[in-house]
Amino acid sequence: MVERSQKEVWRLTPWLVILLLLANFVLMAFDAREIGSGRRVIRVWGQTGADFVQSPVTTLTTSLSGYFGSIANLRSAQTENDDLKQKVQELQIEIKGKEELTAENERLKALLDLKDKSKIGVLPARIIGRDPSIWFDSSIINKGSLNGVKLNMPVVTNGGLVGRVTAVGPLTSQIDLITRDKSGVGGVVGEIGNSNALGVVSGTSKRDLVEMRYVSGSVEVKPGQMVYTTGQDGIYPAGLRIGEIVDVITGTATTPHRIFIRPAAGLDSMREVAVLLYEPPVKSEFEQKLPNATKAEKK
Amino acid sequence: MDNLKLTIALIVSVFLQWTLRNIAEPLAYVDLPLIIIVYAALQRDALKAVLFGSIAGLAIDALSGGLLGANGFSKTLIAFIVSELARRVYMDNLLLRIPVIAGASLLDDLVYYGLHRLLGQEPNVPIAATISYTLIGTTIAGTLIYFLLDLSMAQRSRKPRREMFPARRQTRRRNPIRLGK
Repeated sequence: MVERSQKEVWRLTPWLVILLLLANFVLMAFDAREIGSGRRVIRVWGQTGADFVQSPVTTLTTSLSGYFGSIANLRSAQTENDDLKQKVQELQIEIKGKEELTAENERLKALLDLKDKSKIGVLPARIIGRDPSIWFDSSIINKGSLNGVKLNMPVVTNGGLVGRVTAVGPLTSQIDLITRDKSGVGGVVGEIGNSNALGVVSGTSKRDLVEMRYVSGSVEVKPGQMVYTTGQDGIYPAGLRIGEIVDVITGTATTPHRIFIRPAAGLDSMREVAVLLYEPPVKSEFEQKLPNATKAEKK
Repeated sequence: MDNLKLTIALIVSVFLQWTLRNIAEPLAYVDLPLIIIVYAALQRDALKAVLFGSIAGLAIDALSGGLLGANGFSKTLIAFIVSELARRVYMDNLLLRIPVIAGASLLDDLVYYGLHRLLGQEPNVPIAATISYTLIGTTIAGTLIYFLLDLSMAQRSRKPRREMFPARRQTRRRNPIRLGK
């Protein structure tokens, strides 16, 4: 091994530092440019390599916390059991009523010859890693392109919308949460078709809050109402629950409302998610020709 | 041997940084690779420190939602500044290293945040709170880790305990022969 004198090292170091800083800056600029394109090769392979460390650690910590959690839960199991028995009885009565409604629904559908076209494939996935830096909130899931995951596919929990896939490796994928300020989700307050309160939901500086902008100030909006996706943003299908309105800064006829929403999906505590194998409908030729409709292809 | 130990410490710190946030959210406020990079820089081996900074930074960036290279940039810069500082100022005791790791953590966060702002990818977290928590977490963890690293390094473990703290100035003894006169 080549031994360098201290003087040589001192002379060499500034040049190496300049070289490394330049290389890192070029990488950053490249990444900032390609952030929406999915061509994030270094990131994708870094994640794939890290998967071999993250997966066993996550499995171990999850099973350990589950074991200790189950011991702690034993104490409240008896009262919970009684409550559940009562709920089961109530639900049985409810199900009987719903069975009749389902049968009626089927009959009416057959009558109108409607076909269910809105079926979207669901791919369950486990969160194996969180963002190692505290500045961002992305997560890594244990499903990748080999499982059929593609860029921009929506990610949900049983509570509601979580975010979308922003980088896909063969075995893992990175997801950006809806709380990130760069994420924009087309949202509607209340039921789609019955409401004019359309806007864009994006992140705020608070982790448990998202903000809905551009909702006309003349539309009535109240805290407690639910917000759903519209399906018009070209990423998320319509009807996914985003969250519940917790605060409204009321606008006027000329200024829009500022609506604050608590995400329905428990973003802090989620362990399992589902990737919706949804691909947005292809835009018509006319729409594709519109200026700024899609990013121009590089020549 | 010390080089090998430091390299292993860096690899372990990167692995821990990747996984600790899964276990508990507050652990993400401790920047473990930065602690090891600053320790390497304090050994006056500038080349090793800047290489450590770049590699560990890129490893963290690969799994982060931030820009690839932002941590690499900030950590390389910190490694160089600390190694230059260590070249000029004697910092071989634990107490003097506490302000160094605190300053390094603060500067690292500021550079990281600044770079993201510059390239239009501003993180949406409360900045002052995030920087403060990281500063506290990294400084406390850094002090403990430096103590352990000092103990584990072969030559340093043989040092007498009093050398970990600043040497107290000793008053000169008067000549006992003269005093007897």
